[in-house]
Amino acid sequence: METEVQQNQAQQETDPTPESAVKHLLSFALMIGLTLVAFAAVMLEVVPAGMVIPFILVLAVIQVFLQLFTFMHLDLKNNRMTVTFVMMGLIIGAICAVALFVLG
Amino acid sequence: MATLVILIVFALFLTAIWTGGYDKQLLNRFRSHWLWDWITTVDHKKIGILYLIGGAFFFIIGGIEALLIRIQLLVPNNDFMVGDTFNELLSMHGTTMIFFVAMPLLFALMNVAVPLQIGARDVAFPFLNSLGFWLFLAGGILMNLSWIFGNAPDAGWTNYVPIASNEFSPGTGIDYYVLGLQISGIGTTMGGINFLVTIINMRAPGMSLLRMPMFTWTSFVASSLILFGFPPLTAGLFLVMFERLFGANFFDVAMGGNPVIWQHLFWIFGHPEVYIVILPAFGVMSDVISNFSKKRLFGYTSMVFATILIGFLGFMVWAHHMFTVGMGPVANSIFAVATMAIAVPTGIKVFNWLFTMWGGKIRFTTAMLWAVGFIPTFVMGGVTGVMLASPPADYQYHDSYFVVAHFHYVLIGGTVFGIFAGLYYWWPKMFGHKLGETLGKWHFGLFFIGFHLTFFIQHFIGLYGMPRRHFTYQPEDGLTTLNQISTVGAFFMAAGTIVWLINIIKSARSAIPAGNDPWDGRTLEWAISSPAPEYNFAQLPQVRSLDAFWFEKMEGNKKMIPAEPLGPIHMPSSTHWPFIMTIGFFISGLGFVFRSLEVGVLGLILVFLTMFIRSFEQDHGYHIELDEIEKTEKGANA
Ligand code: HEM
Ligand SMILES: [Cu+2]
Repeated sequence: METEVQQNQAQQETDPTPESAVKHLLSFALMIGLTLVAFAAVMLEVVPAGMVIPFILVLAVIQVFLQLFTFMHLDLKNNRMTVTFVMMGLIIGAICAVALFVLG
Repeated sequence: MATLVILIVFALFLTAIWTGGYDKQLLNRFRSHWLWDWITTVDHKKIGILYLIGGAFFFIIGGIEALLIRIQLLVPNNDFMVGDTFNELLSMHGTTMIFFVAMPLLFALMNVAVPLQIGARDVAFPFLNSLGFWLFLAGGILMNLSWIFGNAPDAGWTNYVPIASNEFSPGTGIDYYVLGLQISGIGTTMGGINFLVTIINMRAPGMSLLRMPMFTWTSFVASSLILFGFPPLTAGLFLVMFERLFGANFFDVAMGGNPVIWQHLFWIFGHPEVYIVILPAFGVMSDVISNFSKKRLFGYTSMVFATILIGFLGFMVWAHHMFTVGMGPVANSIFAVATMAIAVPTGIKVFNWLFTMWGGKIRFTTAMLWAVGFIPTFVMGGVTGVMLASPPADYQYHDSYFVVAHFHYVLIGGTVFGIFAGLYYWWPKMFGHKLGETLGKWHFGLFFIGFHLTFFIQHFIGLYGMPRRHFTYQPEDGLTTLNQISTVGAFFMAAGTIVWLINIIKSARSAIPAGNDPWDGRTLEWAISSPAPEYNFAQLPQVRSLDAFWFEKMEGNKKMIPAEPLGPIHMPSSTHWPFIMTIGFFISGLGFVFRSLEVGVLGLILVFLTMFIRSFEQDHGYHIELDEIEKTEKGANA
C-alpha cells in the first residue's frame, strides 16, 4: 500500500508535456473527422446502401480505440486504476447490451 | 418575432462582452460585490455550501409539493388539486427530490468532507467542480420554470413513454423535464468524475486506500456509479428529446420503435441512482456511529468490500422495476435472485453498525440520533425491498402505495436521515459553529415521528389496494382514516423542517465558535481549524493509520505529524467561465423547450465559445505566501 501512494505522487508530478497536448489535439481532430465521415456516409449516399451500417461500425471501432488510448490514458505505464475502470465499464456495458438484446 | 428579439438581445450581449464596450466601473462594482466571490469560487468548501443552499431551496419546493399532494388526499373525492395538476405535482415532487435535493445535498457533504478526510488541499478539478454546481442549479431552475411558463412535466419522475410522447403529453411540460435533467445530468457526471480523480490521486502521504474513512470510500463508489450510470440516462433523454422535438420514432411501435427501451434505459440508470444516493449516506452513518461510539468502525474491511459489492450488483438488478412488463419468467427470476443478493452486503453493513455501537461509549448528539434512527428505519425499507423483489408478490404490490412506502423508507429513512446526520456532524467544519443541539433534537423528533406516521401507514394503504399516482379515492374504499393519518404525519415532517431552518438562523446569529474538534473526532478533517482555511492543510499530514487523527491522539500528539516543511501553497484562481458556460446551457435549454432551434443553437455556441476561451487561457493559479499562512494558522490556534 505504501508504494502505491508513492506512485500516486509520482503521477501527479509528471506535468503534461507539450507533446501530449499535440497528441490530444490530433486525436481530437481525428475523432471529429471520423464523425463527419460517418454523417457523410449516411447523408451523401456515397457508400452503397447495404454497406452503410458496417462502415459506420468500423469507424466506431476505430474511435473507441482512439478514445481508450489517448483520452482514457490506456497508453500510460502506471494505469492499474484506469484499466480497472475501463474493464468495469466494458463488463457493465456488455451485460446491459446483452440484456437489452434479449429483452428489448 | 420573439425569437428575433431574443436573437438581437443575445447579439448585443455578446458584442458587449467581447469588445469590452461596457462601463469599466460597472465591471469593477461587479467584481467587488460579495456575490461575485461566490459565483467565481473554485474552493470546494464554498462550492459545498452552494450545493447546500441549492439543495435546501429545492427541498422546500419539493416539500411544499408533497404537502399539496397530501392535502388533496386528506378526504375522499377531494377537488383541491385534481387531474393534470395532481400529476404535475407528483412528477415534480419525485424529480425534484431525487435530482435536485438528494443529489446536491450529498454533493454538498462530499465537497465539504472528502478532500479534508483524505488530507488534500483541493479537489482534482476545481473548474469542473464549480461548473458541476452551476449546471445542477441551471437544470433545477429550468425545470421549475415550467410552473411559471405553462405546464409542468406530468408523466411521473420515471417519465415513461408513450405517456411522455407528443401524442399523449402535448405542450412543453415534458420538454422541461428532458432538458432540465440533461443539463443537471452533465453537471452531476462532472462532479462524479472530479471526486473519482480526487480520491485516486490526491490522498495525503500514507493515506492508502484501506486507510480512507468510510465516507470517502462510499463517495468513491457512488462516484463510479455516477460515471457508469448517468450515460444511459443521457442516451435515453436524447431519444425522448429527438422524438419530441425532431419527430424521431424510437418509441413508436407503428414505425418499428419500442417503448420498453425507455424503461430499460431509465432503470439501468435508475437503480444505480438509488444506490448513488444511499451509499454516501451509509458512509456518513459509518463515520458518525464510529465517532459517537468512540470506537473504530467494526469490520472496516468488510464494510469496504460490501460497498464495492453493492455498487457492482447495483447494475445487475434494474429489471426488478419492470417485473410486470412481461419479460417472461426466466428474466424475472434472474433479476429477482440478483436483487435479493444485494440484501446480503447491505445486511453486513447493518450488523457492522450494530457491533460498532456494541460496547461503545455512546454519546447521543443530534447527529448520532439521526444515525440511530436510521438503522431500524432503513432495515424496514430493505425488508419491503426484498418482498418486492419476489416477482409473484410484486405483481400484487406493483404500482400500489406499498411501493411508495418502500422507497420512502429507504430514501428518507436512509438518504435524508444520512444527510441530516452529516449536516449536524460537519456543520462546525463548514461554518465554525455547531447547529443547536436542543432545537436539533426537536427537529429529529418531529421529523422522525412524522416520517413513520406518514409512511408506515402507506404500506397498508397499498395492501388494501390503493394504487399510487391516483388523485383520489372513494369513501367506501375504507382508506379515509389511513390517508388522514398519513397527511397528519406529513405536517409533522414539515414542522420538523421548519425547526431545522429556525435552528440554522439561530445558531448563525449567536455563532458560538465550536473549536477545531468539537466532537472529539477521529478523521483528518478534525485536525484543522473550523471553518477550514482556504488551503485546508498548511502542511500535508503524514497518515499512519485508519482513523488517522485518533491514532495521533492515542500516541499523545495533539496534531498530525506534518509530511512536508511549511512553504508557499499553490492555489487555483477563481474563474467566471463556469458560470458563463452555464448561462449558455441554460439559454440553449430554454430555447429548445420553446421549440426555437435558433436560440437553442445560440446557447450551444456560447457554450463552445467559453470552452474554447478556457482551453487557451493560460492560468497557472497563484501562491499563498508563507507569512500569510503563518498568520492564518496563528489566528486559528489562538
Ligand atoms: C435491500 C435492498 C432493496 C431491494 C431488494 C429493493 C427492491 C425494490 C423493488 C423490487 C422495487 C420495484 C417495486 C415495484 O415497482 O413494483 C423497488 C422500487 C424502488 N426502490 Fe428499492 N430496493 C432496495 C433498496 C432500495 C434503496 C436503498 C433505495 C433508495 C435509496 C430504493 C429506492 C427505490 C425506489 C425509488 C423505488 C421506486 C421506483 C419507482 O417505481 O418510482 N430501494 N425496490
Ligand atoms: Cu431498484
